[in-house]
Order: sequence, then structure tokens, then C-alpha cells
Amino acid sequence: MKGKAWVIGDNIDTDQIYPGKYLPLTDVKEMAKHALEGIDRLEDFSELVAQGDFVVAGVNFGCGSSREHAAVCLREVGVAMVIAESFARIYYRNTVNIGYPVLESKDITQKVQDGDVLETDASNGIIKNERTGETIQALPLSGLEREISDAGGLLQYMKKTTE
Amino acid sequence: MGSTIIEKIIAKSTGKELVTPDERLWVDVDLAVIRDFGGPNVILEYEEHFGDQKVHDPNKIAITFDLHVPAKDEKVAGNQKICRDFAHKQRIRNLFDVGSGVGQHVLLEKGLVNAGDIIAGTDSHMNLLGCANSFASGVGTTDIVAAWAKGKLWFKVPGTIKIVLDGNLEKPTSAKDVILHVLKNVGCEGALYKSVEICGPATENMSLSERITLTSMVTEMSGKAAFTPPHDKIMDYLKKRTNKEQVGIFPDEDAQYEEEYDFDISGLEPQIACPDSPDNVKPVSEVEGTPVDEVFIGSCTNGRYEDLYEVAQILNKNKVADGVRLIVLPSTAEVARAALDNGLYQIFFEAGAVVPNPSCGLCTTGHHGILAPGEVLVSTSNRNFPGKVGKGGEVYLASPATAATSSVKGEITVPGGA
Repeated sequence: MKGKAWVIGDNIDTDQIYPGKYLPLTDVKEMAKHALEGIDRLEDFSELVAQGDFVVAGVNFGCGSSREHAAVCLREVGVAMVIAESFARIYYRNTVNIGYPVLESKDITQKVQDGDVLETDASNGIIKNERTGETIQALPLSGLEREISDAGGLLQYMKKTTE
Repeated sequence: MGSTIIEKIIAKSTGKELVTPDERLWVDVDLAVIRDFGGPNVILEYEEHFGDQKVHDPNKIAITFDLHVPAKDEKVAGNQKICRDFAHKQRIRNLFDVGSGVGQHVLLEKGLVNAGDIIAGTDSHMNLLGCANSFASGVGTTDIVAAWAKGKLWFKVPGTIKIVLDGNLEKPTSAKDVILHVLKNVGCEGALYKSVEICGPATENMSLSERITLTSMVTEMSGKAAFTPPHDKIMDYLKKRTNKEQVGIFPDEDAQYEEEYDFDISGLEPQIACPDSPDNVKPVSEVEGTPVDEVFIGSCTNGRYEDLYEVAQILNKNKVADGVRLIVLPSTAEVARAALDNGLYQIFFEAGAVVPNPSCGLCTTGHHGILAPGEVLVSTSNRNFPGKVGKGGEVYLASPATAATSSVKGEITVPGGA
């Protein structure tokens, strides 16, 4: 996967990823229009982002509410993957359960700048930064989370293992 | 080697003698809960994957309406109808419609929570039910679909952090001030992926309401679950509500904790979390005098009868300051009824407060009392990230006493003064 990085800060909560006023929406295409709208400089993110871009975030990305919308909206708007220094628990769970892989990488916001072009491999966690030439080893999913995500998500995994 | 509370609960559910942190296990879910927001997505996803297939067990499902209640617009009305229709079709009895109040509190009152239960819900503050010694955790849409269909969910066994509270709580300092002080020290990511046990001499005599205040704020430390150890009066409450014997689950004396924090809360001043993070906590005295536009008393953290009673003592024979909007919100219909019967509504109305129907109110930009940009809110709720109550609004988190006192003075004020 290759795309441009959108770098954001620490503790980006679910109201910044997907503002609470859009919670009543049930159509994923509609949800996509509001991705990252709660971050001032990214109000128009859904128009600015290109298919296959990456969101690069600091610690505790997705803290706050349990809304799965916050994971779904980024996938639907075309973000190939979120790479963060750490993920809030429910956010991480939600990405596993919908089969939308994420990568954890310490200090990634120090190593990547807004607009850098990255090449990443979700399966082995390798991130290459074209601008700096650096190869970064991130933490890919493993164990049960990997099995669930690879199956396409929790429901697909459960169907596969119980039928 | 001994076990912590969460290790014992997960072990019991899986039939294992011992579980250890980082193990991934499938557990039986005792209750899987949706709300009016997020809930319709669960139902649509369930029907997309399972069609008309019967749910695993309708008695292990609850639906609580607490955010946009009664329906604030056509979209919400449609969403709520989706929930009602599904409950009817699937014979789900535990649907608590508009007017019931904050979900977790309703579940406690209606006897759906037992000590040792495993509960999942589409509410990040689900873990407040650890006040009742249950492992309750916030999850997303897909988790609930899975629990409804199969009765099971996967969990990573979390490590446990122990928070010991020593000393005595001295009024007007309250459980909210204590947990804000703890949050300042543990930090917003301090309990990420962890279970948190809050114990110690200062917690022993705490009421259910005070325990709710403590456990609800563990969400803001990024905790997965929160517990206060069982106490006879809590077990008696659960027994009365559930009509079932309750067996409290204590940690073993030699349980393994990943971290331990000790706090002496004697002499602690009232605390307040300043914008824009729940761990940006200072003594109220440091920000005293900050002008206030709105005050909100309620939420899953501080909407209990005891909270409203304390607020009524402060508002009695006082008026809300000119230009300040005060919203007082009972957490449930039962709390509202008690407040009405005991004359609290009269005090609230005479002081000039707005008292909407039991619900989550303005939390999650819900319903009653959203802010305009630049406005300042003092809230007894639990979260003040940017935009939480409307874009550009500034939110301070405080105790009911601090909030009520500030509403009378029109500026942030330390409670308990003359």
C-alpha cells in the first residue's frame, strides 16, 4: 500500500474523528463525509483525502466513545490504514472486528511529516518513508486479533469457525 | 498465585481455574446492551448477516433509550422505531423506552446486573457497572451483533492496576473530586487496556452512587473495566433488585497487580478538570472566578438522587445567577420520582433551573443544552475533549457541589463557602 500521510496529534478522541451530532447516521457512505471533521484544520478531510492515504496519529488514538462509526468512516472515506503510537482500547477492538487493520508504531509522529509518502505492509508491519528513506518496523496484528481481521472481521470469523 | 477480580470473573466464565493477563479467551456474555444511538447500526448489521434468525437468548439483551430522547428529529425517530420493531420481533422484553433514563443506571434498578456478570454495551461508560462487581465493558457495533447471535465475545485478559484510597472524605469534597485527583495522576492513557480496582479504607463506606462516580471515570483513564470491591450494602441492593443471591468477588490477597497507586484523600480540596482533557485537573481554587455560561448537573457519573439532593441544599433559597443556564437532570425515572416526592423539583424550579426528562442530556452532543462556540460550561459529566458538547465550547468537569455553587455565583466557585 502506498499513499500520503496525514499526521495528527495525541489523544484524538472519537468526537474529533466522528462528531457526536452524526451518530444517528446509519449509512456508511454518509458517515464517510464526516471523517475527522472534528479536527479544525481537517474539517474538509473527506474532500481532501485521496484513496489509499494514511492517517498517522500519536498516542491513544480513538479514545472516548465506543462508536464504531469512528473506525468505519475512515475506511469508507478511503484511508488505507491508521498508524498510531497507540490505540484506545475500543477503537482497536472495532478495527479488528471490522477487518480494517491498523499498525502501532512508537514515535511514528516524529518520523513522519504531514504529506510524506509512505509504503506500508499491514502483514509484516514494515513502513517505508520515501522522503527520509527510513524503514520503520511497526507492530502488526498477531494471534486471535490477526485471525479475526484476516477473516474479514468478527462475524466472518465466527461463521467460519462455527459452521 | 492469586487472581484479581477480573481474572476471577473471566476464569469462571470460561471454566478455567486460572487465567493470566494477555490470554485471548472467548467468554459467555450475560448481557449485551444497545442504546438508541449506535443501536440501530447493530440491528441493521445483525439483519444483514443473520436475517430473521432468532437471537441467541433474548433475555440476555437489553435496549436502553437515553441519548436523543424523546426523538429529537425524524432520523432519530426512525432509528428508535428500528429498535422497537426488532425488540418486538425478537421477543426482547428488556427495552427501556424514552423516559427511562441513563442505560447503565436503569439496568441496575431493573435488576439486570449481578455480581460477577460479564456485560458488554455500546457505551464507553459501561464499565461503571463495576460498582456492582460486574465486568462491564464498552464495545462497538460488531461485538454486540456477535454477542446477540452467538452469546460469546473475545477478550484479552487485562492486567490490573490497583488504586488505594486512604483517609477520610471531608465535605464539600466528594467522590468526584477524588476521582478527578486520581485521574490527574494516572492520566488519560494511564489505564489503557487495563482493569482498575479502586479500593482502600476510604471506599469501604461509599454508597452505590459514590462508587458509580468512581468507576465511571475509569473510562477517562482508558480502562477496560473498573471495580470497587464488594460490600454488604451493595450486594443487598443487587439482591433486592434481582431477586437472586449475590456472591461478591474479591481479589486474592496475593493477586498480581501491574501497578499500584496510593492516595491519602484527607484534606483534599475540591478539584476541577479544565479544557480540553479530563486529566487537566486543578484545585477549583486555582480557576475560581472564571465566568460561566451554563452549568449541567447529571450524566452517568453524577445524576443520582444523592447528587441532586446535595445540589438542592445549595440551591435552596438561592437563584441561578443572571445570564447562567442551569440544567439539572435526574439519571433515571426512579431518581426523578424520588426528587419529586421529596420536594427537590420545587427547589430546582424556584432557583431557575431547567429540569429535562431523565437521559444523558447534553453528553455526546446529545440533546439538552449544547454550547455555542466560546461558551463555558461547568459539567458534572465525565469528558471534556474538544467539541464534546458542541464545537468551540469550553467544558470544565466538577462535582455537583462545585457546579451548583458556580451556577449561583455565575463564575467557577469553590463550594462550601459562606
